Amino acid sequence: MTDDRTILIIDDEVQIRRLLEISLSTYGFNTIFAASGREGLVAAATHSPSLVILDLGLPDMDGMKLLLTLREWYTKPVIVLSVRSSEDDIINALDGGANDYLTKPFRSGELVARIRAAIRLSEEKQDTPVLEFGTLSIDLLNHVVRRNGEIVKLTTTEYSLLTLLARNSGRVLTHQFILKEIWGYGYLEQTQYLRVFIAQLRKKIEENPSNPTLLITESGIGYRFGS
Amino acid sequence: MDGRLTTRVTGLLRNIYPYLIVILIIGLTTLVCLPLSSPQSYHIVSFILLFVVALLAAFLGIGPVLLASTMSAVSWNYFFIPPFHTFHIARTEDRLMFFSFFIIALLNGILTNRIRRQERAVRDRENQTNALFRLTGGLSGARGTEEVIRVAAENFRTSLGAEAQFIIQDGNGHLVYNPDPDDRNTPEKPDRGTAEWVFSNLKKAGRFTPNRPDEPLTYHPLTGAMINPGVVALKIEEDRYRNRDAFWDTCCSHIAGALEREFLGEMATRARVLGESDRFYGTLFNLVSHEFRIPIAAIMGASDTLMYPEASEENRRALYSEILKASARLNHMTENLLSMSRIESGRISLRLDWHDVTDLFQRVTQNLEQELGQFRLVTVIAEEMPLVKIDFGLLEHALINLLLNASQHSPQGSVVKMEALYEKGNLILRVSDKGPGFPGESLPHLFDKFFRVDGSPAGGLGLGLSIVRGIVDVHKGTVSVANLETGGAMFTIAIPSELPDMNHLDLAK
Repeated sequence: MTDDRTILIIDDEVQIRRLLEISLSTYGFNTIFAASGREGLVAAATHSPSLVILDLGLPDMDGMKLLLTLREWYTKPVIVLSVRSSEDDIINALDGGANDYLTKPFRSGELVARIRAAIRLSEEKQDTPVLEFGTLSIDLLNHVVRRNGEIVKLTTTEYSLLTLLARNSGRVLTHQFILKEIWGYGYLEQTQYLRVFIAQLRKKIEENPSNPTLLITESGIGYRFGS
Repeated sequence: MDGRLTTRVTGLLRNIYPYLIVILIIGLTTLVCLPLSSPQSYHIVSFILLFVVALLAAFLGIGPVLLASTMSAVSWNYFFIPPFHTFHIARTEDRLMFFSFFIIALLNGILTNRIRRQERAVRDRENQTNALFRLTGGLSGARGTEEVIRVAAENFRTSLGAEAQFIIQDGNGHLVYNPDPDDRNTPEKPDRGTAEWVFSNLKKAGRFTPNRPDEPLTYHPLTGAMINPGVVALKIEEDRYRNRDAFWDTCCSHIAGALEREFLGEMATRARVLGESDRFYGTLFNLVSHEFRIPIAAIMGASDTLMYPEASEENRRALYSEILKASARLNHMTENLLSMSRIESGRISLRLDWHDVTDLFQRVTQNLEQELGQFRLVTVIAEEMPLVKIDFGLLEHALINLLLNASQHSPQGSVVKMEALYEKGNLILRVSDKGPGFPGESLPHLFDKFFRVDGSPAGGLGLGLSIVRGIVDVHKGTVSVANLETGGAMFTIAIPSELPDMNHLDLAK
């Protein structure tokens, strides 16, 4: 499967840039590079890439600030790269408009899968009334969820949680975002509610609840609805 | 100079006072007794005067007592012994009486005075003993040089009436002067020259001593058995210092002893830390040269071979997989080293949140898909397992390390088991294998840094288990290991975790 879309990579490390260029071009993407935040903003404005890969650790400016500036006018997906164990940065980036994240070191196959999912998500028309994920279907119009054709009984909260995640499938939603959307601002710290409902939902919609394939945990950050 | 003059004048006055009192009181007594002046009753006056002299002797020094005896004898003679108003004594028995009066007054005065002095000396010694007792008690409880100095200075101030300033050496024989704290209340700063002189000659100097007596402070050397910790400068009143040389020497030697003890303790710690960091670097060099080189060699060799166009497709795949494996190994080792340094430096911060153990196990299993591919991984989570408050990332790391450890010591195809349960407020995580277990003597050292069981396969830093312990420690939990009777070893982690508040959770909604 080839792709002729252009991807902008903002990263100051030469070796990572070279590696990304080779692996992404193997999958058919065009790549442009920026070694600094300033260059990155210019490149994003002039080339209008389909996706931006942004390293949060840049020499000339804070990656987070760059992301916020970019988001003022750039609407296409942004994937952030960060070093491990900086979960706070990742959460900030996701809440600040990043679509996905990857921690270094990562496998290029993983990166390409994330790129494709992000692009597909951004280009998909969201007007289909029925979302399909393997054997699971969600009828948004009639509020009916089916697994293998059989109706799954869900409570109101479970249904809102499922549709929130499913509508953003492929994208990581942070705990705070989900809690705010489903329970409201007063519940931002109550992650235990979220855990309980996710466990309930898994029992109802997953083939194997202890090895979930739809409701995927992004440890310390949030959840991603897989497909 | 003015100040010194004033002290001299006040000192003189203080010395004159008792004599004035004596003159006044004897004069008054004489005046009061004048009506009794008759040839029949002058004996009674002698008793009254003797009584007054004894009374004065109980309060005054030897000089005033002498004056009192003389003055009372003279006034008795002049005013009361007939013929009146002359020093002449007419009768022989009166003359005898006069002399014995004088002697008795004198002896009386001197003896009373001596008893009083002795009593004062006893009380003084008692005070000194108490002060010394308090000082040694305080010093033996003090930990660290700073605290010893603080305790000593406080004792000097409260029970000995002395302001003490300590000048302590740096461990290389150089005195360290505290930078001026710019505090108005600080007493006079010690003179550096005198302090240095005392420190190098180990002799007292300054006020009340034969060496440099013009200095306003008194300097005592602090002399230890092996090290001389420094010098103490005292600001003290003369009567609290003079004639108590032995006492002050004892105080100083106690303080010197306590300081020396701390000095030696600190030196030993420093030596141990140095030794440990030496060993640490030694091990680290070993690791970098050996453990890191293996995967690097694999990556270089494999990529080099991949450059040859002749390589078969099958070989290529094998080489790619080698590169992946080697880099995963490098990554794992780097993460362990970084984690270790974070744990050691205390820079690790706990991100506690409610988590589902299912997520934890799933994540760990997913991460180790390749490494545990040749084992049968069994995961068991107790029914009704509550949510637990943990740092997900850290515990994930701990479990990964335990599982990797199990995989290194177990035969291929054997069962590796990972369990979770909740018991008495604790999350219990167990990882067990069917390997040979650990040699008994190695059990206490398994969680030590860089410890590796003899004969264990290559490919580890000996850091994995100490990281597990570090992670469990920051969770305020415990980790233990035991050999199983059925073969293999089992690690058990227990982490305290309360139950989540589900008050406002309406599951039915």
